[in-house]
Amino acid sequence: MTYRTTIMAALLSATALGGAYAADPIKIGVVTPLSGTYAGIGQQVRWGLELATKEVNAAGGIMGRQVELTFEDEEANPAVAVQKADKLFQVNKVDFLTGTVNSGSTLAVGQVAERAGKLIATTVSFADSITGDKCSPNVFRVNARAGQQSSALAVWLSKDKPKANVFYLGPDYEMGRSTVAAFKSAAEKVGAKSTGEVFAPLDSKDYTQYFGQLRSAKPQVLYTSVAGNDTVRLFTQMQEFGLLNNLTVVGASGTVTAQNLPAIGKAAEGFVTGVGYSAEIDTPENKKFVAAFKAANKIDPDLYGADSYGLIYAYKAAVEKAKSTETDKVRKAFDDLKWMTPQGEKTLRAADHQAVQTMYVVRVTGGKFSIVGQVAGTDAIGPDACTRF
Amino acid sequence: MMTAAIEYFQFVLAPQILIGLVLGVAVILVALGLTIIFGLLDVINMSHGEFYALGAFIALALASIGLPFWLLLLLVPLVMIPVGYIVERGLIQRVFHSGERHVTTLLLTFGLGLVMEDAFRLVFGPNPHKPETPISGAIDVLGVFLPLYRLFLILGGAAVVILVALVVYRTRLGAMVRAAAFDRNMAASLGVPVQHVYAGAFAFGIALAGLAGVMLAPLYSVFPTMGRDFILMAFTVVIVGGMGSIAGVVVAGLLLTQVQAISSLYISPVWSDPIVFGIMVIMLMVRPQGLFGRLGHG
Repeated sequence: MTYRTTIMAALLSATALGGAYAADPIKIGVVTPLSGTYAGIGQQVRWGLELATKEVNAAGGIMGRQVELTFEDEEANPAVAVQKADKLFQVNKVDFLTGTVNSGSTLAVGQVAERAGKLIATTVSFADSITGDKCSPNVFRVNARAGQQSSALAVWLSKDKPKANVFYLGPDYEMGRSTVAAFKSAAEKVGAKSTGEVFAPLDSKDYTQYFGQLRSAKPQVLYTSVAGNDTVRLFTQMQEFGLLNNLTVVGASGTVTAQNLPAIGKAAEGFVTGVGYSAEIDTPENKKFVAAFKAANKIDPDLYGADSYGLIYAYKAAVEKAKSTETDKVRKAFDDLKWMTPQGEKTLRAADHQAVQTMYVVRVTGGKFSIVGQVAGTDAIGPDACTRF
Repeated sequence: MMTAAIEYFQFVLAPQILIGLVLGVAVILVALGLTIIFGLLDVINMSHGEFYALGAFIALALASIGLPFWLLLLLVPLVMIPVGYIVERGLIQRVFHSGERHVTTLLLTFGLGLVMEDAFRLVFGPNPHKPETPISGAIDVLGVFLPLYRLFLILGGAAVVILVALVVYRTRLGAMVRAAAFDRNMAASLGVPVQHVYAGAFAFGIALAGLAGVMLAPLYSVFPTMGRDFILMAFTVVIVGGMGSIAGVVVAGLLLTQVQAISSLYISPVWSDPIVFGIMVIMLMVRPQGLFGRLGHG
């Protein structure tokens, strides 16, 4: 008899005829760029989420319920992201949503979530405003924001290059201007002197036209937040013009990545940045994570993969604490939630929904990133600038 | 006062002019094929940027099997010629004779460009590649620092322009091409194989795009969307210089890139594109045929 009921129950749940009961899966929607410029980032997001979901499901799911991921391609375009998020909330009835990469997409999807009465979390977007002046009660960020990366880098700068003359070069749009402004204020606070700044259009072909300004400013340190192929051009052209001698280049964590490092080659030697994650972190948790990630995807995880992986465990912890997937209860459970991630324990600050975590300073040596310093989470986080809740 | 002016020239103005010159040569190399295809075939080749990228990718693939850069300068254009010939005979020729020639060829080449860009991504992946710079080192030109490869680019670019002009204006082949461009029926009745001349001229333009790809790859790196890089500027140069004019491309190419280089000293570089496109708009309003007339219509 019991044998038969078990079979029946299994069949019913398998064919989804069982209705809403405990074995119903928890649905997580993922709106992430699977095509276009940011496809490489979306790929890492997907791998990180899938690995964590597999582990969680194998260990019995969340409160006995399996986790199910539904992917939609946002093409790194806020307008597309909004449509796809709407669809996931209204049609697929997802309980939770993540994956947005472009900061504009995260902000826009946050508004969709508010209207739908659901929660979202970004694992990638850097813009400080997401958990700052444009914060939302429905939006969380589990990765380190630009401000945290800048403070970590500035702390390193004050030790390694005290009172340095710094020149800034950023791409001329929201991200470039905000990263330069953030690092400039962090660097000046620790005694660095700013000797000039220039903003080049996104996708600039030739950075050599700014080299005159750079040379005449005579900086010891150059800070840059260009990304992708722009970094390849900037760095190799600087090498061509002999500008990399006696100059320390530091930058945003998205400036040099596993994607463009091979193309930059020797010109990337010595580049220093502040990040929330590195595959080199020497802890048992991280080694286990890197090995599992590599076994599944044949490539090292980067910060995007690691933070996306960590998010599933944050959501699991919150739902289990709330004993529900209801928005209000989960939001409350997220407040000051502490959970374990590959890079150690993180805390979701209740005041602005920003994760507080240890920050790392990494340097490119011999074509690979190695950790040269770390800064405690509380020293890097900065004040709460969110006034909405 | 005098020394200040000399220093300003030496450390600010002269490097900027020199850097603008390199960009100018790069733009001219891309625009040259474009203007030949437009002037001779009356086809607006929207996929020209992707053929430029194709040249760079072929060079990348050939370099990876150990072929030296200097051989690629010759080999890649040779590989591009049959590609261009087949594209012209297989695709463009089919829609060329309809009444809406400009629209159909423009849409066809635009679509071809989109397909090629995605094909690059599928075959070579989305990440950038950086070929080794074939000549390292630098020299001082009047106290201005100039990497040797950039010097080579300026001189090599000039040589390519002169060679192309010689072929078009001084050879029997060039005369046939110009005749076919001026009046295809008359040329055909005088025994010029017009079909092959058209396909050949298109292939020649494509080969030039490929050559530009090989020459510029060490400076600007290779990636699937690189075709978009110079194409707007190249179109602008072709329009301002006079569609189909080789001299026009050279003059407009140098002029517009100098405007960009020098203006970016005084105002934010973000304005350099609006300035250049503004010049194009004014040119279209005041002198729509461009600085120089159309090729074959001199």
